[in-house]
Amino acid sequence: MTIIRKFIVSAIAIGTFGVALEAGAVCNQTAASQADTDLWNTHGCWTDFFLWQYVAYDLRGGDWTNRGWNDACNNVLEYPKHWNASFLLTYGLLDNNDQSFHGTVDYRATAEAVSSNFHNAIHDSVGDGTDLFGSYSGGTVTTYCPLYDVTWQNANPGSRGGDFQHEGWHAWMEKYNFNNGDVGGHRPGPQGACTINSCDYFYFHGISQYVFGDMWQNDGTANRFHSPNQVQVEYLCDVADQSQSWIPASVRMAAQTDANTRAGQRFINGPGYTCGSARPW
Amino acid sequence: MDTTKRPLRTVLVAIAALSCGIGCATLTGCASSADDAQPSESAQGAVATTPGVPSARQATGASPRELLVRYQAHSPPQLASADQVGRFLDWVGASHVDEKEDARRVIVAAASNQAVVDALIVEVERVKAADHSRALLALAILGETKNPKAQAFFTAFVRRALPQQGTVIDGEIMEQTQAAQLQGKAIDGLAYINSDSANKVVMDVIAHHPSKIVRAEAINAYLWNHGDSVEARKTLSQFVRTDEAILLDRVRRVTGESAASFNAKLAQFLKQHPEVVPPDPERSKAAATPAQPQGRSLPPPAL
Repeated sequence: MTIIRKFIVSAIAIGTFGVALEAGAVCNQTAASQADTDLWNTHGCWTDFFLWQYVAYDLRGGDWTNRGWNDACNNVLEYPKHWNASFLLTYGLLDNNDQSFHGTVDYRATAEAVSSNFHNAIHDSVGDGTDLFGSYSGGTVTTYCPLYDVTWQNANPGSRGGDFQHEGWHAWMEKYNFNNGDVGGHRPGPQGACTINSCDYFYFHGISQYVFGDMWQNDGTANRFHSPNQVQVEYLCDVADQSQSWIPASVRMAAQTDANTRAGQRFINGPGYTCGSARPW
Repeated sequence: MDTTKRPLRTVLVAIAALSCGIGCATLTGCASSADDAQPSESAQGAVATTPGVPSARQATGASPRELLVRYQAHSPPQLASADQVGRFLDWVGASHVDEKEDARRVIVAAASNQAVVDALIVEVERVKAADHSRALLALAILGETKNPKAQAFFTAFVRRALPQQGTVIDGEIMEQTQAAQLQGKAIDGLAYINSDSANKVVMDVIAHHPSKIVRAEAINAYLWNHGDSVEARKTLSQFVRTDEAILLDRVRRVTGESAASFNAKLAQFLKQHPEVVPPDPERSKAAATPAQPQGRSLPPPAL
C-alpha cells in the first residue's frame, strides 16, 4: 500500500506539473488572421504540400506537438500556419527577373533545410516566447508566437515567410563566417537611421543585379552582400509587388506594411526602399 | 492498515486518475494530446498517423489548381448597406491582383453612402487589435472612398496616443508599432483625399507625429499623390525633420516597375546620398563553421 501511495503522489505531482508546464506551452490557437485565412483558402489544405514541406524544412514532430502536427488542416494552429507561409513562399511569386528583387529559388534556398550555397543544413522549430519573432542558433531556426498569434501584426503568412528569410540569412552569415554584430547577430542600436536596438546595414542593389539563384553570392565587400533584415524586406516587397495574380490582397497588403515599417526602422544607413503604391486601395 | 485512511485513499486515487489523464494529455508524446489523432480515430476522412509524419484530421478537398479554376473572378459583392460591409471585406481580402479595379468601382459607388462609411469605421475599431490584416483592409477601403466622414475619422485616428507600454521585441513596443502601422494606413487615406484640409493634417503629421513609421508613410503618401514632383519635395521640406530629410528622396518600387526604372532611381538616390553606402562587411574572428556537402531536396509538388 505504501508503494501504491507513493505512486499516487507521484502521479499527482507529474499530472499537476504536467498541466502547469504544458498548459501555457502553445501560442494563441483561437483564430487565424484574414491574411492567413485568405491564403489558406487558395489551397484548402493541400496534403501533398505539407507532406513535402515538413521534409523540406526538416520539421520534427516532437517540436510541433499540440501545435497541429497531427491536425495539419486546422489553420488556427502553429504548424498549419507555418506551412501556409511556406506555401506562399514556394508558389506565390512572379519571378520576373526584370522586376523582382530575387526569385523563388533564392527565397526557398534560404528558408529550406538542405545544405546549399545559402547555408549549411538547418531545421525549423517553434517556441512560445513573445520577446522575439524568430531566432537562429546552431542550425535551428525557431519562430515564436508573435508570428502566429492572431492579435499580433506579424501573424500573417508574408511576415512569417519574411522571418524564414531573416533567420535563414543568419545561417548564411554563419556559413560564410561574417560578423553582423553581437546583438542577436545584429549591430547595437539605436544608431543612425535605425530606431530599434538591433540594426543592420542595407546593401543597396538594383533589380536584376542578382540573377535568380545567386542571392547567396558575396564578394566580401558592400557591393555584393545582404543583411538579414534586408533579405526580409526584399522578400516582403516581392510578396507585395511581385506576387502571382491569385495571391490575396490581404496577404500583399500585410507584407507591404511590414516591409515599409522594417525598411524605415531597422537600417543604420536607411531608409531602405518603400514598396507598393501609397494609394489606399 | 488504518481504516480511517480508506476514504482519503479513494479520493487520492481519483485525483491521480484525473491528473494522469490531464497530464497525459499535455505531455509530449502522450497519445491523448490536443491534436494527436488516435490511430483508431474514426473521424471521417482522418488520415492515419505515422510517427514523425504530420497528418490531418479531416480530408482535404480540391487541389489548389481546382480551387483556382472554380474561383469566380470579377464578381465583387454589393456594398450598398452596412450589413454588406463584412462580406465585402471578406471578398476584397481574398481578391486577386486583377480584381483591384473591380473593387474600386464598387467602393467609388459606395463612397457617399454614410451607412457604409460608418460600418467601415466600426469594423476598423472592432478589429484593430484583433486582426491587423483585416484592419488594414478596412482602412484601405475607407481611404478609397474619400468620404468627409472618413477624413474626420482619419484625422482623429492618426492623432491618437500610441501605447507606451507592452511587449518589447528588439527594443520596439509591439502594440505601439501595430497602432502606428494602422495610423500609417489612415495617413494614406488623408493624403489620397488631397484637399487643403487633409494635406494640412498630413504635413502636421510629418512635422510632429511621435512615430517615425507614421511620419515616413506621410511623406511617402504625399509625394506619391503629387507625382513625386520636385515641387512636392520642396513643399514638404518645410515640415520634414532635419534628420529625416533623406525620406524625401527615398526610393519606391511599385508593382510592375522595370529594372531600368527602379535602377535609375536607385542610382540617383545613391548619388545624392553617398553617406548611405555601407561599410564593407566584417569577417568573424571565430573559427569558420566547417562546410557541409550540398544536400539534395525533392522538388515541391506541382501546383
